Amino acid sequence: MYQYSAEDSKFLVERVDQFEKQLKRHLDGDLDAAKFRSLRLRNGLYMELHAHMLRVAIPYGTLNTIQLRALADVADKYDRGFGHFTTRQNIQYNWIELSEIANLLRELSSVGLHAIQTSGKATRNITADPLSGLTEGEIADARPYCELIRRWFNLHPEFSWLPGKFKIAVNGAKLDETALRVHDLGLRLVRNKEGELGFTVYVGGGLGAAAMVAAETASFVPCEDILSYLESAMRIYNLKGRRDHLKKLRIKFLVRELGAEEYSRLVYEDWKQTRDDPKLKLNLTHLSELKKDFALPIKPLVIEGFEDKVDFNYSIWKKNNVRAHKISGYSIVNVSLTKLGTAPGDATSEQMRILADLADQYSYSELRTTKRQTIVFPHVRKDQVFDLWQSLEKYGLASPHQGTLAQIVACPGGDYCDLAKAVSIPIATRVQQRFDDMDKLLDIGDLNINISGCENSCAHHHVADIGLLGMQKNGEEHYQITVAGETLHDTVIGKKLGPSVSGDNVVDAVEDIVNVYLDNREEEEKFTEVFKRIGIKPFKERVYE
Amino acid sequence: MSESNELTAASATLETKVAESRTLDTSVLNKDNERIELVSVEQWIENLDELSKLGVGVIVNPSDDVTLLKDTLNDITLIALDFNNFDDGRGYSQAYLLSKRWQYGGEIIGINAHLDQLQFMLRSGVTSYKLLEGYEGFDELDYSNGFSICYQAAANNSGLKEKF
Repeated sequence: MYQYSAEDSKFLVERVDQFEKQLKRHLDGDLDAAKFRSLRLRNGLYMELHAHMLRVAIPYGTLNTIQLRALADVADKYDRGFGHFTTRQNIQYNWIELSEIANLLRELSSVGLHAIQTSGKATRNITADPLSGLTEGEIADARPYCELIRRWFNLHPEFSWLPGKFKIAVNGAKLDETALRVHDLGLRLVRNKEGELGFTVYVGGGLGAAAMVAAETASFVPCEDILSYLESAMRIYNLKGRRDHLKKLRIKFLVRELGAEEYSRLVYEDWKQTRDDPKLKLNLTHLSELKKDFALPIKPLVIEGFEDKVDFNYSIWKKNNVRAHKISGYSIVNVSLTKLGTAPGDATSEQMRILADLADQYSYSELRTTKRQTIVFPHVRKDQVFDLWQSLEKYGLASPHQGTLAQIVACPGGDYCDLAKAVSIPIATRVQQRFDDMDKLLDIGDLNINISGCENSCAHHHVADIGLLGMQKNGEEHYQITVAGETLHDTVIGKKLGPSVSGDNVVDAVEDIVNVYLDNREEEEKFTEVFKRIGIKPFKERVYE
Repeated sequence: MSESNELTAASATLETKVAESRTLDTSVLNKDNERIELVSVEQWIENLDELSKLGVGVIVNPSDDVTLLKDTLNDITLIALDFNNFDDGRGYSQAYLLSKRWQYGGEIIGINAHLDQLQFMLRSGVTSYKLLEGYEGFDELDYSNGFSICYQAAANNSGLKEKF
């Protein structure tokens, strides 16, 4: 598995040393709050409602068990014994003391983890398909490319003070588990007619108050030219992006105002002047080294006479949480951390250590984190899946709710976040309580409900089957409902159902929507397929009748 | 961004705007400690023939379009990029274009510079700088050269091990 070299680790420590000096100047009154804010955000540190929040990157969502144990240790030593896995392959701690931040970051740097650019107006953590390298039909494992792009934009001298934050996602798989077209910039690995590897580039997507699907700005950028193309895309944004209006800072507004065609042209004109610069070519030697580092640790396996165990609960769990691995003899196992009444994505240090132990035992010491805030065991022998399930059950990590509607994605919401307009987690709990019948849950199948407490849309409600957005109306918490958003096959922003619904009525509304789906479903149709066939009207009528 | 943060940022922008109008530099000391008169990009373009004989420098604000200077770079004695607004990163792209792409050979001085941004300015192509007041007494090397390694090509990577 890929690990940072000594010089990379030294760089991380140098970054911490510098930040510690800046912190000291701030505390001594020599660095004002506005500038310190800008600097601390670039080191992942937020001021939240009750304390400081630190966001640590899990680049491309891949963790080894040493790293997960280090994250557990941080949770115990510096937080209140838990961490929150986010929708963008980061982990957040909510109770960090300013005076301890440097030591915390030094500890993480020793296992190759950091919080650099996990916030602020710069290139954020680069996300990848959490199943990179594991699924059939994939063009290429996205992670070596992610790592090279991550490095390149790490403290980039020209692009560290952009108009707004800049989120990049890379996908090489058939299905898009990254939601790349709702990112500032999305890269899809493709092959051209000649069979050469490259990227289709999409720019200007985003959720938030003005949700937009990113426009294609280049159908094929050869792999070795991707860094120069990305630089040009960012240079146009850096020079022309809106800086005058706080709600229009993201690149989606620039792309919308210029028009995708004109933006693409400007990028192309700039790129023409740099693409042949040998210093800007992707380093193919580094790439091939990284490909070796990210190579799967397993070979095809023939398990003679294997028959999986028959057990009702196991079968339900397996149906929802185990996927085929492209290497024969292995499975991909998904573990949900969601429990009734807790913030989705929250994990205690004890859970983290259990997961690390189990990953050592069953999954070659490797784990992945996903945008559904779950943890993936990437390589589990088929004849050990049952044993793993039993262990997960023992520790309360194999809820049969997983993979059903009850596995809700929600941001921390009004209970924890000072940006929130309404609560998220209590709504998630009430939905889970309403749908507590296992037979019904299984009948409904995989249906996404995502709940964001404000327009920042941390829970990606726009791209869920049912999305809820918290807002204030006449001093009360209300929820705007969107339906039939998706990203897996195609990227579609959910449609607004109608006027917002009060907190008291929102769970009824969710149930109504689910019932319209069930009443109209033919055979194995998914929610979005039913929606496409019958339109929004029946849903509207049921909810607002 | 939270509302309180937005307000902070908005007031910071406002403060910067006020500061910009207050401290609009009309001359600057170059690296050899000679005083160079500065003209705006607009003035330079309008009075090119006259000004190019006078050995003046051009002051570039973040909102200026540096491509306007591209064809007359050889006549400009010095270019001053204004980094007063901490969060406005346009100066870094301006420095890159002038220094790396158009190979401007004169001094590119970063004025109203912030200590914490020296590493970004210098690597983007700024060749000298003048810090804002209030940064005295700190080791500039911590911020201009605090790293042993860099991960990307840039206008100036001197002193850094390149890993890319």
